[in-house]
Amino acid sequence: MHIPDGILPAQVCVAGYAMTGLATWYSLRQINRKPDPTAEIPKASLLTAAFFVASSIYIPVPPASVHLILNGLLGVVLGYFAFPAILIGLFFQALVIGHGGLTTLGVNAAMMGVPALLAYHIFQARHSFSKVVMEPARTALFAFLGGALGLGIAALIFLTLVILNISADINANTERGLILVLSAAHIPLMMVEGVFTAMLVLFLQRVKPELLES
Amino acid sequence: MGAVHFDTYVPRESVIHHWSPRLKLISLLALMFACATVQHITLVPWMLGLVALLYGLSGLPLSFLQQRLSYPGLFILAVVVLLPLTVGDTVLWQWGWLALRQEGLQATLLILGRFLAILTLGFILLGTTPFLTLLEAMRSLGLPTILADMSLLTYRYLHEIGAMLVTMQQAMRLRGFGQRRQHWLKVNGRTMLHLAMLTGNLLIRSYERSERIYKALRLRGYGYGPKSAQEESVSPQVSVLSWGLTGGALACAAALIVAEAVLRGALSQASLLGWGLMGVLLAVVIGLIIAEGVLRR
Amino acid sequence: MIDSVSTRFDSLKMAQGKRPVAIVTQSLSFSYPDQSDVLCNISLTLHESERVGLIGHNGCGKTTLFMLLCGVLTPSAGTISLFGEPVQPGQFRPEVGLLFQDPDDQLFSVSVWDDIAFGPQNMGLSAEEVVVRVAQAAEMTGVTHLLQRMPHHLSGGEKQMVAIAGLLAMTPKILLYDEPTASLDLRTRRRLIRFLQHSTETLLIASHDLEFVLEVCDRVLLIDNGGIMADGDPRQVMGNQDLMERHGLEKPHSLMPHLGIDSHSHESGG
Repeated sequence: MHIPDGILPAQVCVAGYAMTGLATWYSLRQINRKPDPTAEIPKASLLTAAFFVASSIYIPVPPASVHLILNGLLGVVLGYFAFPAILIGLFFQALVIGHGGLTTLGVNAAMMGVPALLAYHIFQARHSFSKVVMEPARTALFAFLGGALGLGIAALIFLTLVILNISADINANTERGLILVLSAAHIPLMMVEGVFTAMLVLFLQRVKPELLES
Repeated sequence: MGAVHFDTYVPRESVIHHWSPRLKLISLLALMFACATVQHITLVPWMLGLVALLYGLSGLPLSFLQQRLSYPGLFILAVVVLLPLTVGDTVLWQWGWLALRQEGLQATLLILGRFLAILTLGFILLGTTPFLTLLEAMRSLGLPTILADMSLLTYRYLHEIGAMLVTMQQAMRLRGFGQRRQHWLKVNGRTMLHLAMLTGNLLIRSYERSERIYKALRLRGYGYGPKSAQEESVSPQVSVLSWGLTGGALACAAALIVAEAVLRGALSQASLLGWGLMGVLLAVVIGLIIAEGVLRR
Repeated sequence: MIDSVSTRFDSLKMAQGKRPVAIVTQSLSFSYPDQSDVLCNISLTLHESERVGLIGHNGCGKTTLFMLLCGVLTPSAGTISLFGEPVQPGQFRPEVGLLFQDPDDQLFSVSVWDDIAFGPQNMGLSAEEVVVRVAQAAEMTGVTHLLQRMPHHLSGGEKQMVAIAGLLAMTPKILLYDEPTASLDLRTRRRLIRFLQHSTETLLIASHDLEFVLEVCDRVLLIDNGGIMADGDPRQVMGNQDLMERHGLEKPHSLMPHLGIDSHSHESGG
C-alpha cells in the first residue's frame, strides 16, 4: 500500500517530505537518548531487512491473497527505530522492486511510519492495565490493537490522499462517499492484520521476549 | 522473493554516469518534483521529451526501462482503466452503457505522463549510480549517520535474509504446507498461525545474526566514539560537465514549474503564500537534519 | 524400535536380487538463468533401500539435484520418477523427505512436539494418528525427552535429530540428507551414523564427510561438471586417489594404505 508517483501534486509531496523530516528528527532524538544507540543499529538494520523480506509473505484468501503491511508490528518490535526502518524500507523498495516512489517517499513514510510509532505507544500502554486484564490476553489484545490501528490509520490516510488528488473533476460528495466505502472495506483487513500481529507477538514473547521493545 | 534485481546499477560510459553524484541527485530530484507540479496536459509532451533526452544521454538500454516499468505499471492500470469511464461530463464516445469521458481521459493522460516521467528519472538515477556511491552522496548532503549506517547494513544483509526466507518456505512446503483445500473468502486460522510463526522465526534469526554482527563490528572499533577526521576525505574535483548538466537540469525544472504557474493564470496571492510556507517549512526541516548531521561529526 | 514406522520392504524380491526401483532420472538437466548446465544429462537409478552417497566439490550441483528430486525446481530437460510416478514440480509428495543442511531452516514451531506433528497434520491424518506418529518418530530418533522443549533452545545435534524426526513422522520411503554432519559434534555424529546404518528407507546422502559416507553408504556417486563421474562401491570410488583428486576431492584417510588396519570394516552398513 503505497502511493505511486504521478498522482499527488508537488505540494503534497513536499509536505510529505516535511512531515517525514520532522518525524525522523524526532525519532532520532529519542534514539540518541538511549544509553547506547549504536548498539541497537545492527539489530534495527537486520530487522529492517527482515521486515522488508517478510512483506512478501501473504495470507491466502481464495481467490485472492492479503499482503500484510506489518507497520504496527514494526512499531511494537523496533520502537522509535520503526520510523527510520520504514523510511529505509521504502527507499529500498524503490531500488529493489522498482516501484518508483522517490517523490512520494516522504508521504508514504509518514503515512506508514507515524501509525507505527502510535502502535508502539499503544503496545507500551499495556503495562498500565496490568490490574485490569491478565496475561497473555493483555499482550494479545494490545498487540491486536497496535496491528489493526497501524493498518487502519495508514489506510485512511492513503485513501484520503489518493481520492482527493486523483482528479479535479470529482465532486466533494462523491469523494467523501468513496473514502467512507473504501475505508469500511478495509475493516476485515484490519482484523486480519490485528490477529496476525497478536499471534506473532505472542510467539515472540514465548520464544524470544527480548525482541519486544520494553 | 523471486527475482530480486538488487543493485540496479548498469555500468556504462556516459555523461550521466560521470555526472557528480551529489549534483546528479539534487538535479534529478528537482526534476522529479518539477514533473509532479505539472497539471496541464500541454506540458506533458515537453516533460516526456526532456526525460527521453536524458535517458538517451545516459546510455542505458531500452530493455532496462521496459523491464522496470512493467511492475509498477500494474499499479497504475486500475487508474488508467477506471478514470476515463467514470470521471467528467463531456462524453467523447459511447458503447452502450460504457461512456468514454473527456475529463477522465485527460486526467488519466496527465497521471500517466507524470508517472512515466518521474519513474524514468528515478531509473536514470539508479541505473547510473551504484548504491554505495548514492549513499555517500546523501551522507555528504547531510543524511544522519544512523540512517546511513542502517542503510548500509540493511543493504548488506538483505539478500541473505531473503534467501533464508525462501529456504524456510521451501522446507514448510515440502512438509505439506499449503496443501489443504481452502474455502473461498475464508482465512484459515492454522495457516495464518503458521505464517505468523514463519515470520517470527525470520525475525528471531535476523536478530540473532545481528548480535553476532554487532560483536564482530565492535571488535573492529565500531561505536566507540566519533569517527576520525579521515572520514572527511577530499572530494574529487567536480568537472565542468557536471556543473553544466546540473545547470541545465535545474533550468529545465524551473522552466517546467514557471510554465505550469503561468498556464494556471496569474499567480494568486493565496497560492504564492502557500508555496512560500511550504518552502520555509522544507528549508527548516532540511536545516535541522543537516545541523544534526554536522553536530554529530 | 526399528521397523514400526517404515517402508513396505519386500524381502522376497530382495532375496531374488530384484529390488523395486525407487528413483529414476533420465537425461536430467538443469540450468539457472545465470549459470548454464549446472546438471547435464544425469541418468541414474536407485533401488529401494539402497544407501547412496553423493560426493563432489562445493557447487557441483548436489543440492540442486535434491531440489529437483523433491519437485522444488523444474528441470530444464529430462524426467524424474519416484516409485514409477513422475515428479510434478510443486506437488506434495510425502514419500520423499529432505533434510536441509541447516536445521534452523526447518524447525519453526513453539515446541518440538508441534514441529514433528506439522508434517502428519498437513497430510490430513486424524489427531489420534498424529499423536502415534509423533511418538514413534521421537522414539526412533531418541528425542522423546525433548518433546515439550522449544526447538530454538536446543543444541545443534538435538535440532538435527528433531528435524529428522519431523521427516520420519511422514513415513517417507526416500530420505535425502544434505550435509547431515556439517554442524555435529563427534558424539552426535556417531549417533547419526548408527541411526542411518539401521534405517530401512532409501537414502541419498550428500556429504563432504567422506569417512561418514564410507561408514553408511553402500554405493557412491561422484559428481563434477554437472555429470556423474563415477558410480560404484564406496571403497573403490573413493579409494581411487587419482579420480578423487581430479574432481577436487581427497582420498579419505582410512583408505590410505599406510594406516594399516581398516578399523571401520565391521561397522559398515549393508
